[in-house]
Amino acid sequence: MTMSAARRRLYCLLLAVGLYGLLAPATRADEPKPDPAGIATGDKTTVVDAAGNSFAVPAPTDKNSPDYPKNKKDFDDYQSQAAKEPLAVKLADSVGHIRIATNFAWTLNTGYLVLFMQAGFALLTCGLVRKKNAGHLMMLNFAAYVFAFLAYYAVGYAFQFGAVAVNAAPGNLGGIPTLNQYLIGSGQWGFLGGKGFFLAGPAYDAGSNCLTLFEVVFMETAGYIIVGAICERITFWAFLLCELFIGAILYPVFGCWVWGGGWLSQIGSTLNLGHGYVDFAGSTVVHAVGGFCAMALAVILGPRLGKYGKDGKPRAFPAHNLVYVVTGTFILLFGWMGFNPGSTLGATDLRISVVAVNTNLAAVAGSAAALLLWYFMFGKPDVTMACNGMLAGLVAITAPCAFVSPTSAVVIGVLAGILVCLGVLFNERVTKIDDPCGAISVHGFCGWLGAVCVGIFADGTYGSGWNGVGATSYLGHPGQGVTGLIHGDSRQFLCQLGGATLCALWAFGATYIVFSVVNKIKPMRVSPEVEREGLDVPEFGMQAYPEDAVVTVE
Amino acid sequence: MKRIDSIIRPQNLDSVKEHLTAIGVEALTITEVRGFGRQKGHSEFYRGAEYAVDFVPKLMLTILAADNRVDEIVKAIAAGARTGKMGDGKIFVTPLDEVVRIRTGEVGDSAI
Repeated sequence: MTMSAARRRLYCLLLAVGLYGLLAPATRADEPKPDPAGIATGDKTTVVDAAGNSFAVPAPTDKNSPDYPKNKKDFDDYQSQAAKEPLAVKLADSVGHIRIATNFAWTLNTGYLVLFMQAGFALLTCGLVRKKNAGHLMMLNFAAYVFAFLAYYAVGYAFQFGAVAVNAAPGNLGGIPTLNQYLIGSGQWGFLGGKGFFLAGPAYDAGSNCLTLFEVVFMETAGYIIVGAICERITFWAFLLCELFIGAILYPVFGCWVWGGGWLSQIGSTLNLGHGYVDFAGSTVVHAVGGFCAMALAVILGPRLGKYGKDGKPRAFPAHNLVYVVTGTFILLFGWMGFNPGSTLGATDLRISVVAVNTNLAAVAGSAAALLLWYFMFGKPDVTMACNGMLAGLVAITAPCAFVSPTSAVVIGVLAGILVCLGVLFNERVTKIDDPCGAISVHGFCGWLGAVCVGIFADGTYGSGWNGVGATSYLGHPGQGVTGLIHGDSRQFLCQLGGATLCALWAFGATYIVFSVVNKIKPMRVSPEVEREGLDVPEFGMQAYPEDAVVTVE
Repeated sequence: MKRIDSIIRPQNLDSVKEHLTAIGVEALTITEVRGFGRQKGHSEFYRGAEYAVDFVPKLMLTILAADNRVDEIVKAIAAGARTGKMGDGKIFVTPLDEVVRIRTGEVGDSAI
């Protein structure tokens, strides 16, 4: 049956509109060009001194600004000086390139450290479960990396950073001017990025790829957190769906709101709430998203068989290998040296040393607090809780690490160490949400705590101009950075409280809605027989620790 | 012929072996077992949940003996395994119908 003339015309029109929509942005003359070979990134415009003052003075554009006469004079002075010293200007181009190169090296290498955390988490969670599920745990951690990465490559990165140049251009990496469009939202009210799908076109750029590598391993961290709560009873196919969901939607959406220049980062200027929502390296963007997603999945799946007796009392399933648990925790600590300091996206930001020290202090304070608290409560220090305490401290310091003093880091670590212990007992005994590795307490609860701690302990020594607020002066002080309640900024505290809570609601709610539907269509939990036997053989056809095979020698 | 099974504490294996070697017993088999008797286990806490460690690891020694040697072997094992505390273990002696040495095909006492 042939198409009617009217329908044919409609299809032609739609095709034309579609092609225009696809090609036009790339062909507009004023669109920045991507730099896949890295030969056009970094020049005299990216040269700054230690305080962040630019070498090259840009031409002032806002003729109505009160500073216009001064800016115009500065620009004219620069132009005339540049004309007198052409070699210096050429040298500045090299300096700018080297600065960007330094920061690329920093960002990529700290990203590799974060990648190594995958191994740490795999060991940690595998050690915490029963021997019959060791292969299953390892496969979950492994497949998490593989499939979430592919989802993030396809759409996740574009959703999260497709519009980063609008409000949050990473100057340390050259700005990535090509990623400048929202799919949903615009200006300071962006909700979802819209450029860089499949890392093609505007994302096929050296600076963008540097950011991609760094950000994908952060997404992976959120992806593997859920393993800790859903293990020993989730089917592999359902798990893959979870990972695709996290990599494509759950993580990138909130990530766009906070790090992609989206609306939550802008409420400092749009709603006068401090510097907007601040999360330096991802207590909420990464850890709380993972932790509360894990909580929703654990609720849907239900507790492991035999976890709760008829009287409702929890039963212990002791870890099968404490060696893995401790080794895994140390690897995570080591990787966190990439996670937190790396989040400056540049070695030229010398706050990295303070970040590194704060991170370690919170880690050890968290572990000590958890260990001592548990000792007082139960009479013996629990190895697994000491490890969870360290991780809790690390999770909680992840948001405030750049904005607080070392002593505040210790306090934050202690608070997290206490919270994780109470959280584990709370879930074990009160909510009865079965969480084999404590993922909900370590990452969910302590992630929320970390973001709130920014709003309490930030002391204003760093972060001047964060999220575009207070670049010249803040709260009456020039150069004042992100500030918390203790140092006089109550609006920042409210902003942090609201944003962190929103993160928990988003991660739990979206996951619960989507996967309740999935579970109704096809149950995500293995059958009781499989669960009793252990998932290694029924799911993967092999054991992590096979009995010595009887081999005939020919 | 008799079969002598003994359940002993794992840490007393060396002592029992010495006593047995001293009386000329040159063959025995060990199995790792778990069990409890009057010694009982104890309870521990793991991440807030109480659990019972009921089954205590032990070793089971299996020795074959000609009828006339049973008494001295039982005494040797007991001497090596006794600490005086609860959990020292037990020795059971059961009759054996047949023993065959696989390499040579010998049967009976000469196969022990």
